[in-house]
Amino acid sequence: MLHLPYRELPVGDPGTPDTGSPLRYLAWLARHQKWLLSLNALFGIGWMVSQALVWAAVGAAIDHGIQRHSSAELFKWVAVVIALGLFQAGCGALRHQLAVTNWMSATYRTIQLIGRHVATTGPALTDEIPAGDVVNTVAADAMRVGGTFDSFARFSGAIVAWIVVSLILLSTSVQLGLIVLLGVPILGSLTVPLMKPLHTTQAAQREAAGRLAALGSDTVAGLRILRGVGGEEVFLRNYRVQSQKVRVAGTRIAAPQAGLESGQVLLPAILTGVVTFLGARDVMNGSLQPGQLVAFFGYASFLTTPLRTAIDYLIMSTRAYVGASKVLRILKIQPIVTDPEHPVAWPNELARLEDGRSGVVIERGQLVALVTDTPDHAAVLVDRLGRFVADTDDVLVNGVAISSYALADVRSHVIVSEIEPRLFSGELRYELMPHGLVDDERILDVLRATSSLDVLDALEDGLSTTVEERGRGFSGGQRQRLSLARAILTNADVLILVDPTSAVDTHTEGRIAARLRDVRDGHTTLVATSSPLLLEKMDVVFVVLDGHVTAHGTHDELVEQSSTYRQIVLREES
Amino acid sequence: MQLPVANSHVVLAYARVLSRQHRRPLARMLALYALAAVMALIPAWAIGQITDFASNHQLSASKISLYVGTLFVSSLAYAVLTFFARRRSYVLGETVFAQLREEFLASVLALPLIEVERAGTGDLLSRTTNDMESLSRTVRFAVPEWLVAILQAVLTLIAMLLVSPLATVASLVSLPILFFSTRHYLRYATPGYRRERISYATMSGSVAETAEGARTVDAHRLGERQSTRIEENVRESFYSEMYTLLMRMVWFPTVEGAFAIAVAATLAWSGWLVINGHLSLGAATTVTLYVVQINDPLDRIVSWLDELQIGQTALARLVGVSVVKDDRPRAGPEPTNDTITMTDVRYAYREGHDVLNGITLTVQPGERLAIVGPSGAGKSTIGRLLAGIDAPRSGSVRVGEVELAQMPLTTLRQHVALVTQEHHIFIGSVHDNLALAHPEASVRAIEAALDAVDALEWVNQLPQGLETELGTTGYQITPAQAQQLALARLVLSNPHTLVLDEATALLDPRAARHLERSLSAVLHGRTVIAIAHRLHTAHDADRVCVVIDGVVAELGTHAELVALNGEYAALWSSWRNEKPTVS
Repeated sequence: MLHLPYRELPVGDPGTPDTGSPLRYLAWLARHQKWLLSLNALFGIGWMVSQALVWAAVGAAIDHGIQRHSSAELFKWVAVVIALGLFQAGCGALRHQLAVTNWMSATYRTIQLIGRHVATTGPALTDEIPAGDVVNTVAADAMRVGGTFDSFARFSGAIVAWIVVSLILLSTSVQLGLIVLLGVPILGSLTVPLMKPLHTTQAAQREAAGRLAALGSDTVAGLRILRGVGGEEVFLRNYRVQSQKVRVAGTRIAAPQAGLESGQVLLPAILTGVVTFLGARDVMNGSLQPGQLVAFFGYASFLTTPLRTAIDYLIMSTRAYVGASKVLRILKIQPIVTDPEHPVAWPNELARLEDGRSGVVIERGQLVALVTDTPDHAAVLVDRLGRFVADTDDVLVNGVAISSYALADVRSHVIVSEIEPRLFSGELRYELMPHGLVDDERILDVLRATSSLDVLDALEDGLSTTVEERGRGFSGGQRQRLSLARAILTNADVLILVDPTSAVDTHTEGRIAARLRDVRDGHTTLVATSSPLLLEKMDVVFVVLDGHVTAHGTHDELVEQSSTYRQIVLREES
Repeated sequence: MQLPVANSHVVLAYARVLSRQHRRPLARMLALYALAAVMALIPAWAIGQITDFASNHQLSASKISLYVGTLFVSSLAYAVLTFFARRRSYVLGETVFAQLREEFLASVLALPLIEVERAGTGDLLSRTTNDMESLSRTVRFAVPEWLVAILQAVLTLIAMLLVSPLATVASLVSLPILFFSTRHYLRYATPGYRRERISYATMSGSVAETAEGARTVDAHRLGERQSTRIEENVRESFYSEMYTLLMRMVWFPTVEGAFAIAVAATLAWSGWLVINGHLSLGAATTVTLYVVQINDPLDRIVSWLDELQIGQTALARLVGVSVVKDDRPRAGPEPTNDTITMTDVRYAYREGHDVLNGITLTVQPGERLAIVGPSGAGKSTIGRLLAGIDAPRSGSVRVGEVELAQMPLTTLRQHVALVTQEHHIFIGSVHDNLALAHPEASVRAIEAALDAVDALEWVNQLPQGLETELGTTGYQITPAQAQQLALARLVLSNPHTLVLDEATALLDPRAARHLERSLSAVLHGRTVIAIAHRLHTAHDADRVCVVIDGVVAELGTHAELVALNGEYAALWSSWRNEKPTVS
């Protein structure tokens, strides 16, 4: 069964898409699967046409067999009916298989493209498009893109079947043939005006339903608070109000939807009436056999299927177009930081990292702290030092602008662990050392240093435990400690940590501070923090106010000399 | 801990009640569909009549007008009736589903506190989103389609029997094929579809965590790994698709083949009957056309079955929430005073593993008590017991001699409230977000509450002031502001005792400091039990309780404990950078 074009998906390389316009993107996808699509169309045609031809066999069985009282003829034509039925079933199965394959090819290729783009574009993407929309594009729009490729074969079959039926009729009656040949597209186009109100009401319903779903999830997410403080009645009332709005929006779809469906049976009914009337007259004249009339009636009622299929295809293709434009919105976003044209070779030894604008200088091997008046200021500075922003010509690595190095070099030597680092799903061991450089012993060492062994102890499979999506199985404090361990395990030349202990308790913070130097093993470390427990372990502390270093020294020196420092760090009232 | 799933009896009973409540519209809808189905049966009969006359050479222009006219009118009537029946069925589907989701949310909102705590929001959220979505398709489309298909099939069968019971026999050959192949298909395909859905959820999850963690991905050079992972998810999704595809590759042609065989068998059998003079040509034609016609509803009956199965599972999970019994009495004795006492309290999450080993503690009205201790010492458990969310395994937690865990919820809220670091801003206006604590509160009372927590100023500066829409879809406020709103809620609900569980721990210390100032104004005159991560909270308290390994290790004022030179003193000195003695 699977000797037919069967291939493993996803493909190794999804290629470079044509992002010029949604149509060009769809055409680009189609080029990748043109053979699959053509073959699929072939089976779609066989499937649809055999459904029409069954009527010819039924008519012949009546005329040649039953009417003439010939059992042999009857059984011969019955055999043809069976053969056509089996042929139809076979074509149908293969058509379906290829349709699903086509759907998967287009959908998966699109998901691959989005996945790669999301993974490599960095924060630029989520700055412009909310993460929720990105997920929606994968979960819904990519599949809509696939939808048009799925229904293509059925559509091809519908077109050919309509032409075949018209030709059959033409061969017996020019009048009948022309009626079908012209009547189907004319009547079909009459349903087009029904589609707009359908789309409008469906969109309104989807929006209202989306709001309701958000309200429902929101209520559940805040349920502990609601049950603790009260207000259930208010929420239930709000939910009911929105739920009724959704109901009303849903009932507005009812008329256009019912209209479209009614139209899909009404138009062929008109055609059937006309064909039967003209056919019956021919029977009366003797120019047509009763069996042929039955066949004509069959053809005419069969035409509902191609008509409905064509309408479906139109709807699917519109959705695919909309889906493709959403996909392109994501694919068009470019990363914030790009490689220089001629990158400078990374130095053998990173001796000095400095920020010309603020005056922060980090010497090799030091533990350095950054104290700012607000956490936002620390974030800005750290973004510059780690080259997460475009304008970094005055950040120097060994005296050379950090922007003149290859980004890959910067990222592998200067590692920034931001304020709320994320964990990802996967085996804990490889989440802690995603680049696989160290052994379990070192991992346990670092976990001990970050006071995270208790997290490990609670896990049944230890380091082999599978971390859930976003690390949601861990508490906020646990996630922070594990992220810190991950950052330390990179053994980066320069490690920059932003508020690495904000979510852990004082006991734990003290233990982490005490072991930080050992575990960094002589590598340079910069910590943005206001915790005295960490600050007292540092070689040098920079106090940066309004973007400039105003004081620096050890914690003890600064406590003695700077009232601003005491205010920020020791919480003294001014 | 998962919430219960209703068994099939409960689900069926629920479905019965639901259909009884909507008996009339349901009956009207089905009547319309039945009428439409009857109309749809007339054309094949008319064709049969015309064939009969034709074969007897009795066909006349008037007969053609009569029968083709009937055919035409019935087809038109079918289309028109279809419109009204469809419209009714959509409206009914919307109505029933609206009722269903509202009843579900009502039972979610009535869940006992302890269940909410135990189950967490994950399970409930997936019921609210995924199961609701599945059920939406089932209730709005699958159930009506399925009922209608059955109706059409039955009516067509009746029509066939009316035309010729003898000829109808042959058409039944498809039924056993349909039955067995569908049973086989559902048995093997349903788990396949479940796997498919899981694979898509995993894929979305991977994309979500990659997009949300874009910065971390960039910083740790995880781009390639994440995209490889997404592609692995795609591969899993491909395999799950291939499995169900394979199932359909067997089932689809079997069903289509069965239909073709039914048509062929009827044609052969009725033709043979005509040839041997047992049946008229018209009857044979009509029955054959009916067999073709009945294939469509039969196909829909079997095709909707898996959707119905999914819907049933979803419904079982939704109805399951309402199965949870309330753990509290509706009424009970009022506490005689505001003193809170814990007496020899023991508590275990797992049997045999007590996290609290005999805590005895009295908190006087108006007192500020700080509970400190290392992670895992049982601080938060104490908070939950003091807030009356859960009952101890042994011992008692009482306010004014009444067990907290046995108080009706409305009474409990007037006495104790738990404030956690979990602050949630609901979708709705600032006003809505506060009024939930006291639905009848006036705008003035709300403004006063905001003022008490230093929040009135920034609230007034919001685009629409009190009416500004907040929450995930609205205006985004900072965590500190969210925390202030949470505090303002407490001012409105006005309990005499507050349990603060690390309410300010996750915030930037500078913001927390500011919050605590507004907090202390709010807390004036109330009993406050603060579970503290950070020691400056303890410094401001009347008494500090140090909990280690589930027992009270030290208890006294800040000064007393510092003088004691024990665990607390060690912590405090390292915090204040005197002599660092952190172990």
